[in-house]
Amino acid sequence: MLTRALFLSALLAPGGVPDLAAVTPPDSFAIRAARVHLGGGVVVENGMVLVEDGRITASGANVTVPDGVPVIEHEGDLSAGMIALHDHSATRGENYDSTRAILAEAQLVFALDVGHSDLARLASEGVTSIVVAPGPQALVGGITAVVKTTGRAVKRRAQLDVSLSSISLRAARFPTSYAGAVAELTRRFEEAEGAFADAAAGKLPVLLRVGPRHEVQRAVEFAKRLKLVGALYGAPRAGELADAIKAANLAVILPPFDPGDDSRGPKSAVQLAAAGVPFGFALDAPARHPASLRLGAAACMRAGLEPSAAWDALTSGAAAIAGVDGYIGSLAPGMDADLVLWSGPPLDLGSSVVAVYVDGKRVFGGDE
Amino acid sequence: MMLLLFAGPLLSLAGSPSVHEGVTVYAERLYTSTGEVVENAAIRVEDGKIAAITGGTEAPDGDDVLRAVAVTAGMIDASVRIHTGNFSVEDAHEIQPHRRVAEALDPFDYRWKRMLRSGVTTGLVCPEDRNVIGGFGVVLKMGGEPSIAARTVKADAVVRGAIGGEPSRGNHPARGRPSDFYSRRPTTRMGVEWEWRKAFYDASAAARIPERAFPGSDVLQAVLAGRVPLSIQAWTTQDIRTAVFLKEEMQREGLGEIDLIIDAAAEAWKEPQLLTRSGVKIILPPFDADGRTGPDGAFIAWNVAKMLQDLGVPIALSSHGASDPTQRLARQAGYAMRGGLTFDEALAAVTLQPARMLGVEDRVGTVEVGKDADLVLWSGTPFEITSRITGVLLDGAVVIDPRQ
Repeated sequence: MLTRALFLSALLAPGGVPDLAAVTPPDSFAIRAARVHLGGGVVVENGMVLVEDGRITASGANVTVPDGVPVIEHEGDLSAGMIALHDHSATRGENYDSTRAILAEAQLVFALDVGHSDLARLASEGVTSIVVAPGPQALVGGITAVVKTTGRAVKRRAQLDVSLSSISLRAARFPTSYAGAVAELTRRFEEAEGAFADAAAGKLPVLLRVGPRHEVQRAVEFAKRLKLVGALYGAPRAGELADAIKAANLAVILPPFDPGDDSRGPKSAVQLAAAGVPFGFALDAPARHPASLRLGAAACMRAGLEPSAAWDALTSGAAAIAGVDGYIGSLAPGMDADLVLWSGPPLDLGSSVVAVYVDGKRVFGGDE
Repeated sequence: MMLLLFAGPLLSLAGSPSVHEGVTVYAERLYTSTGEVVENAAIRVEDGKIAAITGGTEAPDGDDVLRAVAVTAGMIDASVRIHTGNFSVEDAHEIQPHRRVAEALDPFDYRWKRMLRSGVTTGLVCPEDRNVIGGFGVVLKMGGEPSIAARTVKADAVVRGAIGGEPSRGNHPARGRPSDFYSRRPTTRMGVEWEWRKAFYDASAAARIPERAFPGSDVLQAVLAGRVPLSIQAWTTQDIRTAVFLKEEMQREGLGEIDLIIDAAAEAWKEPQLLTRSGVKIILPPFDADGRTGPDGAFIAWNVAKMLQDLGVPIALSSHGASDPTQRLARQAGYAMRGGLTFDEALAAVTLQPARMLGVEDRVGTVEVGKDADLVLWSGTPFEITSRITGVLLDGAVVIDPRQ
């Protein structure tokens, strides 16, 4: 684990910044559960997951457990940890620098207070990784990071946060208009310095913040024109424009839905799934309770989303959007051992979280 | 001016194959906006265009026939204010001729449909008048595919600015050090006028000295060359004078000949000689029952349209963003007639006149073969208080269906 963490640091942070949290190598163990949710709609009855050195080394129905490795018996469900694709936990007051409209080189990972109780709360609801995102006021708010709820960074340079939302136009500085914002952002991407160069070259995905449908249209046109890759964030009705989004090869990060929200929001997820647009969910804790990630997905199921599509949007699909699907989001061998033990099926609203492991280390619940 | 035709086929597009399903609109009276009235007219619509007009005919049978007592061209509102409010104009600089309001519009806004219901099929949308020069306005269809690009009739149709209280409202003097750009902006009418004059002189200088170019100087040069009309919002006589003087100063100094359209010119009646001598075009705001209108309480008289018409000043009526049903464009034509305008003049002031002002008369503004099939169906004589709009066609599509 330690070697891997160092390797990741070397790979993702060329500056050699030390990792945010010390990682103690955990022991090897296996968990047998009544139902193991491997991802992609595959659920194995009486399956098992073998964890060695913080990573999953085997999973499924026929797992051979080496001698001496303890087996934890769980009567409920076992799944990968969920991923919140947009979050403000443990960054309160530190994630937006109001002195500049554009702060492209700011790294959100440095806004994170690793020991903050926000992160423990996330884990207690089965959320094991978040994308740390800036506040909504900036035109370009910095570079997002994917971090575990233990504070360990999975990816320090995940996306360049770019806003075409009116929320970013309300300050008394340039720009205050859509036309001004589009012109300024176009100029920066064409000048292509620093993070803009990486984004313009498609090496750094963009996180395009939008709201109503006309903002979605504007952002899709903008991304197409500048050949940007990445995802739209914050468009509850993006589904109505699914074809245009698909044509621009963008993903969508839906805002968290409450069961009482306008039903066109959850319907969006169904439309995106039908059009083949990759999508996941934002959480935006601590303003929202960490449980709203799972409840929002359930609201989409109520609108007609397939349960397997909803679960993928919370795990493997989300990992792909954040560019970390090689590390987290499923129970496949080789993945980080981010595990959630549930009392019942994860998307059953009556189910609760029994225990949570991050990198093979128990961070919540469980006495077994 | 009104010519009644009872005779047979007027014009027809011989042998044009119908690729898409068309419709026929049958009107007891068709007001074409060309000065002609066709009785018992069958208007054949194919591929979004008017394919044929046949007068003095029986109503054809068929599912694709729409009937109306009267039909006019879709109306054109030269002052549509459906935009995204503060975000439609860039506040950070006073002079923004190169910005485009088209980039700030919402095709999903419910108000477009409201315009269609009120018989308006085409309109000019400009940046909100928070700036001295706010940028390009765009001529759009009021419906169709929900995309501003698809609805655009003419991009960069006018450059828009404002004179009066609005461009300086909200700005404040610096207390101590200037805290934001609002303390650099003009706080008075005098300051606004200075910004206008400075912008044109600077643009003119930039045409000679390339190093003096600034964002939008090329746009202002196009305005000075008369290639792009300049639309200035000016409600009161004081502000109308300032606009006219600006045009005349540019002319006098040899900087250029501005094609000036004054929008919301409520008090245009006060000094009409200014308008005739300088050759400006006028867009009138909605008439108001007590005469007071606009942010500064400008006085609009019932007969202002009649007075300008008689002086030969090109006029267009507008709703200027009014949401009150009594202020929609069809009502304005009725009010203008009450003030003395003839029916033909009033019809032209909401169809052909604005089409010419905006340079889109090749497509819209009249009912003629080859033009866009934008039609309004009426239950009686248009603009009468007892008449109602029963149907609307936009580019040949029935967007308000009279059968429903």
